Amino acid sequence: MAATFFGEVVKAPCRAGTEDEEEEEEEEGRREMPEDREVRQQLARKREVRLLRRQTKTSLEVSLLEKYPCSKFIIAIGNNAVAFLSSFVMNSGVWEEVGCAKLWNEWCRTADTTHLSSTEAFCGFYHLKSNPSVFLCQCSCYVAEDQQYQWLEKVFGSCPRKNMQITILTCRHVTDYKTLESTGSLPSPFLKALKTQNFKDPACCPLLEQPNIVHDLPAAVLSYCQVWKIPAILYLCYTDVMKLDLITVEAFKPILSTRSLKSLVKNIPQSTEILKKLMTTNEIQSNIYT
Amino acid sequence: MDVCTFENVGIRGTNIVVLGVEKKSVAKLQDERTVRKICALDDHVCMAFAGLTADARVVINRARVECQSHKLTVEDPVTVEYITRFIATLKQKYTQSNGRRPFGISALIVGFDDDGVPRLYQTDPSGTYHAWKANAIGRSAKTVREFLEKNYTEDAIASDNEAIKLAIKALLEVVQSGGKNIELAIIRRNQPLKMFSAKEVELYVTEIEKEKEEAEKKKSKKSV
Repeated sequence: MAATFFGEVVKAPCRAGTEDEEEEEEEEGRREMPEDREVRQQLARKREVRLLRRQTKTSLEVSLLEKYPCSKFIIAIGNNAVAFLSSFVMNSGVWEEVGCAKLWNEWCRTADTTHLSSTEAFCGFYHLKSNPSVFLCQCSCYVAEDQQYQWLEKVFGSCPRKNMQITILTCRHVTDYKTLESTGSLPSPFLKALKTQNFKDPACCPLLEQPNIVHDLPAAVLSYCQVWKIPAILYLCYTDVMKLDLITVEAFKPILSTRSLKSLVKNIPQSTEILKKLMTTNEIQSNIYT
Repeated sequence: MDVCTFENVGIRGTNIVVLGVEKKSVAKLQDERTVRKICALDDHVCMAFAGLTADARVVINRARVECQSHKLTVEDPVTVEYITRFIATLKQKYTQSNGRRPFGISALIVGFDDDGVPRLYQTDPSGTYHAWKANAIGRSAKTVREFLEKNYTEDAIASDNEAIKLAIKALLEVVQSGGKNIELAIIRRNQPLKMFSAKEVELYVTEIEKEKEEAEKKKSKKSV
């Protein structure tokens, strides 16, 4: 036995390697009971990420981007990014839903893994009817660490095409931003960008400074794109209000001038009105704050 | 904890103090009267807060008791500075006690002292308090404060009406849905707190919009 710096007692492995009794005990502990295996398999099935076709609700046999060719893929992760795309991009054209991802983890409010209602957090995939190679994903549910790889495989596949451009939009709380300044003095919300090596276009905002750490699904997508040499850029909005908030959503507006979104946005004043309506329906939530 | 999103504005005029707040939209079945952000602490002092409603209720109750206790003990109403200091001291105590958390509210406290001088103070969860001529608290406080810095002039606060209009104009800079989401309260020297009804606020908003239009017409005439 040994004590670590923090005072916990850990079992140190024996370097002699000849203590058979101990080895036997360890083996017994390591040997999996059938019940454990069953429970683990059940849990794995529950946490499986399924990509379903829109109309038939059957699972897609191949990954989404293997089935449909894609030149441009815009992914919004989190409710503020989703609201931004809904107001400014989705209402400027006709988008058709091609599928949705169904997944369950401890963050989901319902224990029912099969019938997630439409008001729950969702993950939908759409393509532009006039140009079906332009894809959009709105993901307002939390994708847990063990599910991120499954999500990537189901969406991008094991051997993705490199001739597409990915744009990811997401939000983080301003306290995650690593800086010497006090968070109170930061002009939140503000936008920062992080891109893969193959992304050559200029970003519409400053790049995220070192230590440029990103978390969760946006990080998984960006890492995947870097590994597979796909040009991708992540626009990260640091905000002090994590719930749906007008000022945070409007902080994404500079992205409308980038090459990937410029052609998709038509009527900005109308989009602003749609955004305001979206806010009012969400505002009457809780009485905690006045 | 998330930042509160609703704006509050306080203006200290020559003979009037004005408090304007952005109202939160209430649910259809909710009684609007129970969602009040401007509260009287005494006949001559009132307070608007932004933050956790429950914390505000506790602070306001303690402040009201203190106002009456002071009046009974020294036979004088509290000065605005005294009650602000009391609230700030209370808040500070909660930042330095074990097992407690700070009060999650910022407040604007306005009123007239016995000597007839108007006062405006702001407190925050840390327990600091400062006197202001005009200030804003809330999410877009920076924008509103910049507006006030440009437009708070001796002329702007010379008359009561102008001071009220300045408060409404400052709120209209950031409030999304215009006059119907603005709540306004004033205290005039030697008079009790007056809460404006929605109609009265709307009248001021219409007047402001008319003035804006006229100013724009004049500008375009000049340029032609």
